[in-house]
Formats: sequence, structure tokens, C-alpha cells
Amino acid sequence: MRGESVLYSIFGVAIALTALLILYPAYHALELSFQDLDSFISEPVWIGFDNYVEVLAMPEFWNALGRGMVFSGTTIVLQIVLGIGFATLLDSAIPAKPLARGIAVLPYLLPTIIVALTFQWMLDSTVGVFTQIARVFGYNYIPWGESSGAAMTVVILLSVWIWTPFVTLAFLAGLQAVPGELYEAARVDGASAWQRFWHITLPQLRPVLTVVLLLRAIWMFNKFDIIWLTTRGGPLQGTEHLPILAYRKTFELYEVGQGAAVSAISFLILSAFILVYFYFFPLDEKE
Amino acid sequence: MKELTLGRRTSLYALVCITLLYSFFPIYWMIISSFRDDNSLYANFSLLPGPFKLTNYEVLLELTDYPTWFTNSVLVAFGTVCITLVISILIAYSVTRLQFRGKMAVVGTMLYAYMFPPMLLAIPMFSLFVKLGLADTRLSLMISHCTITLPLGVWLLWGFFKQIPTDVEEAAMVDGCSRLKAFVLVVLPLTLPGVVTVAIFSFLLSWTDYTFALVMIGTDSLKTLPAGLDTMVGTYELRWGELMAGSTLIALPLLVMFMFLSRYFIHGLSAGAVKG
Repeated sequence: MRGESVLYSIFGVAIALTALLILYPAYHALELSFQDLDSFISEPVWIGFDNYVEVLAMPEFWNALGRGMVFSGTTIVLQIVLGIGFATLLDSAIPAKPLARGIAVLPYLLPTIIVALTFQWMLDSTVGVFTQIARVFGYNYIPWGESSGAAMTVVILLSVWIWTPFVTLAFLAGLQAVPGELYEAARVDGASAWQRFWHITLPQLRPVLTVVLLLRAIWMFNKFDIIWLTTRGGPLQGTEHLPILAYRKTFELYEVGQGAAVSAISFLILSAFILVYFYFFPLDEKE
Repeated sequence: MKELTLGRRTSLYALVCITLLYSFFPIYWMIISSFRDDNSLYANFSLLPGPFKLTNYEVLLELTDYPTWFTNSVLVAFGTVCITLVISILIAYSVTRLQFRGKMAVVGTMLYAYMFPPMLLAIPMFSLFVKLGLADTRLSLMISHCTITLPLGVWLLWGFFKQIPTDVEEAAMVDGCSRLKAFVLVVLPLTLPGVVTVAIFSFLLSWTDYTFALVMIGTDSLKTLPAGLDTMVGTYELRWGELMAGSTLIALPLLVMFMFLSRYFIHGLSAGAVKG
């Protein structure tokens, strides 16, 4: 075909740019993790696996890993349950469907800073709207965010609020693909709404569920901004997970190499999930 | 289809209303709080909108760095969108039209890169920018935003370009167009929805980003809106009225775009265009 050489050169340049932009930083992250650095301008000293040894020996690391799993596990389960519920509701015969769907998607579009600020304002322990409403029901003082458990609950609920629409949209799309005859047949056989949901909708949504589960796992495990903005990893590191530990190591404790090692470890865990994703959903040019 | 009974219908509507209230109430509260004065914010509590005052907005725009941050956000987002569009269109188009082994690896790498969490890329990138003397500049922030938007752009546009049959531009080339001309005049118009989707989401990702902005920018006057607003939390006593006004103004362009371009939004969102 004509013009192939033009295409090849464009492709070459564009790929080189992208490699420089994405692959080189990833490589540099690994490089940093093998160095002893107390700032980004100091002379690097190559120390092999020492950073990894030190990081893996820190209880802080294991606590952060555990918290990350609690955080991502809980948020994923809640998002999926709520998302399926919302998708089913928004797919049923209701008026003004596009408007309702639009509103249900909104939280997903908002910058995390807005969500963090608005919820902190709503949860303010003296004048916040949730506190005022709780007061009507006789709860005068609610210590949102003062204990680690409460803070973790708050960041989990905020994350669920923001990212459930992703699941809702995925399942809404999935529901469109379920053949209507299946429901008709089930209705003729006298199946209840719940039975139809359990025996038709859910099995039909299984492929969507796998994608959603993997993508949520990949993204929730490394969420940084919502937790940082809401709690800064506190109180007493009660909400500190691996990305926050990496950030604090690098920019607050000036242990750049160790921070990079923490990042590299989360990156390995993440890659395992991404490989599973590619195993289930190989790229297909034809589809 | 059988009609729903009255009871069923009522409970369905009630559930839908609760869902919508759950999704919309925080946004509603942010907006009405931004228009309230201190007295109605802190003393006379009411769930209904009003009173309607512009004091918070006046203070925010006249006494803080907010307008500067706004300009920075616009500059960075605009730059990110332009770079992303040019490069991702070129890559996605050439990948779909070239036949060589390992080209799927390119798309695979893009998808892989798209799943990278920002914090994992931000730290090494900052280190590289320090070496290049680019640290703490808006350009460095723009470049780092491209690490999220480029993979997204290639991924989305790859989906669009592969659906356009090659006969389309071959016919144009038989008629005497060059490859480039055939692409610009014939293929690009057909994939306009894809291009618009990529533009919207590059803007969205850059406009809403906090993580990269936190790492890349230290100087207050170079910050973008999300990072700038966050410094107000640290330095001022918590002035909730102004913070909510600031939040509302960040959300406003997104809400307006969403109203007019919701088709593209829903398409992009379903394709996973908002990382996270």
C-alpha cells in the first residue's frame, strides 16, 4: 500500500516519545529503588537490594499492605453490590431515564479534592449537615475520623461514593445485552423477580463482573488522592497504605530509595493483577 | 409486558429516589453552602437552599490566589489535550493501518501503562524533571498528565480506527490523495466522535488531577486548582463557605460539559476512560 513509509516514520517517532514518557520513568523508578538517596539532587549510591531488605523488615510496610487490602477489598465489594443494585434500578421502567442515569454518574466525574472537602464539611463534628441530622435523632457527638477505625470507614465510604458509578455503567451496558426472551420465558414459568435476577441476570453478567472486579482491584489498591486528601494517612497512620507510605518516605522522610522500593513492590503486586486481566481478556484486533 | 402493581411501582420509585438523593445530595450541599454567609453556614441550619449571597465568591476571587490557579489549570489542561490528541491519533492510526509483528504489543503496553497508578509514575518522573531542570514548572505537570492521557487516547482511538475499513482511504488514494490527505479528509471526520471523547477525557483527567500536581509543583503561584484549593485547607482557618465556592467553581465546567456532551461522556466512561 502507498504511503507506508510515512506511516512507519510517524509511528516510530510517536512510539519513541511514548516510551520516553512512560517506560523510562518506570525504569527510573526501579533504578531509584536500588540506590541510597536522601534527596533527588544528591549523588546516588548503588546499594543493591538493601532498600528492599529494609522495607520488608519494617512493620510499617506490612501494616500498610494490610490496610491497603482491607481498604481495596471492602470498597470493591461495596461498589459491586451497590453498582449492580443501581444498574438494575436504572434499567427498570422509570420516567426520565437518561436524567436519572446522568445524576447517578455524577460522583464519578468530580475531582477527588471536591469530594474530600465537601464530605469533610458535611461531617464537621459541630456544624456539618450529617452531624446536624444525627443530632435530630439524638446523637449529639459523633467522632468521625478521630479513631483509625472511624477514619478508615470514612475513606471507604467516600471511595465507594465516588467509584460506584463505574460499576453501575458497566453493568447497565451488560444488562442491555441480556436477551429479553429469557425473562419472558422465566415469567411464563412463574419465576419471581428475585429468582429472575438470581438465575438470569447475574449469570448473564458474569463476564462483565470479571472485568469490573479486575479493574477495580487494579485501581483501588493504589488509590492515593482520596485517602491523602481526607486523612493524610492518619490518625496515627491508621489509614496509611502503600502509596501513602511511598509518598511519605520520599517527600517527608527523605528516604527516596526506600520510597521507590515501596513503589516497586506495589508495582509488582499490581502487575500480577494486570497479567490476570490480560489472560482473561486477550487483545483481539478483530472484535 | 405485564404492568407493575401500584405497590411495586411505588417501592421502585422510592428506591430510585433514594439512589438519586445519595448521588446528588453532596453536590447540592456543596453548591448551596457556597452561597451562604457565615451566619447561615454555622448558626441557622436549614436543608433548604438559600440565603443566596455572593460573598464567598468575592472573597475567593479577590483575596486568594484562586484566579492564578484557575489560569494554570486552564493552561495545563489545554496543553495536555493538544499533545494527547496529536500523538494518540498518530499512534492509533498507524497501529491499525500497519501490518507488522508485535504491533499488538504496542496496544498492550498502552493498556498496561494506563493501569499504572499515578503515584508510582509521579515519583520517578519528578526525579527526572529535577535532573532536567524542569522541576516545579507547569510544563512538567503537563508532560506528566500526558502519561495518563496518552495511553487512554491510544486505547480509545484504536477502538475507533480499527472499525474504519481500509478501503475508505484506499479509494481516496486511488483518486489521487496522498496518504496524509486521505487520512485528514476521509478517516478523521469519520472518527470525530472518538477524537471528541479523547479530548473531553484528557481535559477531565488533567483538570481533576491532584496527585501529579501535589508531587510536581511546589510554588504556590504555579499550582493548579485542586492542589491550590488544598493549600487553602492547610493555611487558612477552615473557611467552609470559600472552600465550597472554590469547589463549585472547579466542578462547574465539568457539570456544564456533562450536560451538553453527555453522549460522549457515557461512551467514554463505559470504556473506562476515567482512570480509577
